[in-house]
Amino acid sequence: MSTSLDENLRAAVRELADGAGPAPDLAARALGRGRRLRRRRRVATAAAALVAVVAVTLPFLLLRPRPTPPPTTPPTAPPVTVTPSPAMRPTPGADWAGKPLVLPGDWVVTRAQVTGGSGSGVVLDRGRARYFSTDRYDGIFPAPTGSLVAVVQEDRSREVGLVDTATGRTRWYEVGRALSGPAWSPDGRRLLFTTQQLDHFGFIVVGRDGVKKTHPVDMERFLCTDYCFFVWTRDGREVALQQTDPNRPRSESARHPRRGVQLFSADDGRPTRFEPVPGDPAGPWAWSPDGKLVVVQGQQEPLLVETATGRVVNPLPTADVVWVTDDRLLYRRPHGSRDFVLADPSGRELVRQPLPKQLVDLEVTVAPR
Amino acid sequence: MAEVDGEFTAFVNERGAALLRVAYALAGNQHAAEDLLQNALAKAYARWPRIRGDAEPYVKRILYHDQVSGWRRRARRPEVPLAELPERPAAGEDSDLRLLLRDALRALPPRQRAVLTLRYLEDLSVEQTAALLGCRTGTVASQSAKALAKLRQLVPGLDERTSRAEVTR
Repeated sequence: MSTSLDENLRAAVRELADGAGPAPDLAARALGRGRRLRRRRRVATAAAALVAVVAVTLPFLLLRPRPTPPPTTPPTAPPVTVTPSPAMRPTPGADWAGKPLVLPGDWVVTRAQVTGGSGSGVVLDRGRARYFSTDRYDGIFPAPTGSLVAVVQEDRSREVGLVDTATGRTRWYEVGRALSGPAWSPDGRRLLFTTQQLDHFGFIVVGRDGVKKTHPVDMERFLCTDYCFFVWTRDGREVALQQTDPNRPRSESARHPRRGVQLFSADDGRPTRFEPVPGDPAGPWAWSPDGKLVVVQGQQEPLLVETATGRVVNPLPTADVVWVTDDRLLYRRPHGSRDFVLADPSGRELVRQPLPKQLVDLEVTVAPR
Repeated sequence: MAEVDGEFTAFVNERGAALLRVAYALAGNQHAAEDLLQNALAKAYARWPRIRGDAEPYVKRILYHDQVSGWRRRARRPEVPLAELPERPAAGEDSDLRLLLRDALRALPPRQRAVLTLRYLEDLSVEQTAALLGCRTGTVASQSAKALAKLRQLVPGLDERTSRAEVTR
């Protein structure tokens, strides 16, 4: 007599689990990884501590707003000079936290935190033109303009907090389940979340007033496998979703092949258009200002491609780039990541800007100055 | 610090094997399971003063969330494709059937495998599974049903080889 499917399934799951072999030194290895994680957090804490020293009269601004100090003289960005070899800018000094870190192309560092969030971080307070620290949140996401900072906490996984650095006021808003981290629209007016809630894949747009709109997306119609997340387009009117090419073989040891990105209206979720680009744009700034080019993470390497045709123009060192003008890219060097570089679209480096050593091991967010 | 290290090491030595079984059921192979578990343990270590005494549920939550939450996973292994369908089992051999089922389980998407792992390895109720995964009970049921449909697709003759009781409850 055959055993019930339920019993067989239970036995199969347990036999699958029994396949786990011994893991020698599991405790020692976990301890080592845990210490590295802790050290990275300490780096962030050290950077934050430095900020606290520099801004001794302005501690924990996110929590306790203070009157605006006298305006500081904004740093002057040296003119970008095109030379055969990259022009090296000096490493910022110990007082870097007292003024905005201006990068080539006139962008600024707005946030630094351990990759993946969690732990102390530093945030640019644009109103006071200096950095301050916070260790209260697991993720901090300053808007690219204005005074709002989106914050998330692991124990409030369905919510997002909006901290106004101008007033110190924090408001929490319910967003949804199974959320990605928030992504600000380029104008800093709206937040975008990908929701991977089972059977309810889609995106959620939240306004600065907390009003949200949820837009389910049919994953069978708009096939996306592997790594799927919505990103803003540069004009902030649409969001884009990676589209898997169903006609090419997929391997779990490589990125899944893409046939392009499908765009949706950010206002009503309506599918709008399709761009046949062979990879994933990292965010809104991956599109050139004129919209003709976009940098994507291709299946094998980062690529600069034509938006309309998907034609590959040339490979690039990283897909995590921002276009500062129609012919200049700003990115963090993937090898030797203490430097940001301004490069032309071919990847030729023009200007290098080292980061303060306290930020070298941290994930850094940049925005237009 | 020494006290924390000692407590943490004792915890891993005591519960590591059990946690690795869960990780293996979720990840489907030894390397990915160890990576998944080490990542969860490292997070636990970094927060040890806050979670000591409640470490195992914390680690399990991290395991499931890291495995299911695609946007958080760095590993790029959403599912293991089977190049060909498993061969049909010979009649009367439950162990062969379970072997095929085991291979088919590896081919399930992470969410479906997580639901089955919680239900059948950890013996959690639908409600407990939903609470841990942060979804509704109906979603757990639908994921179970989808998982079963996929298993039927991957293991031809599955229903002929078993009685159908209980599975869709």
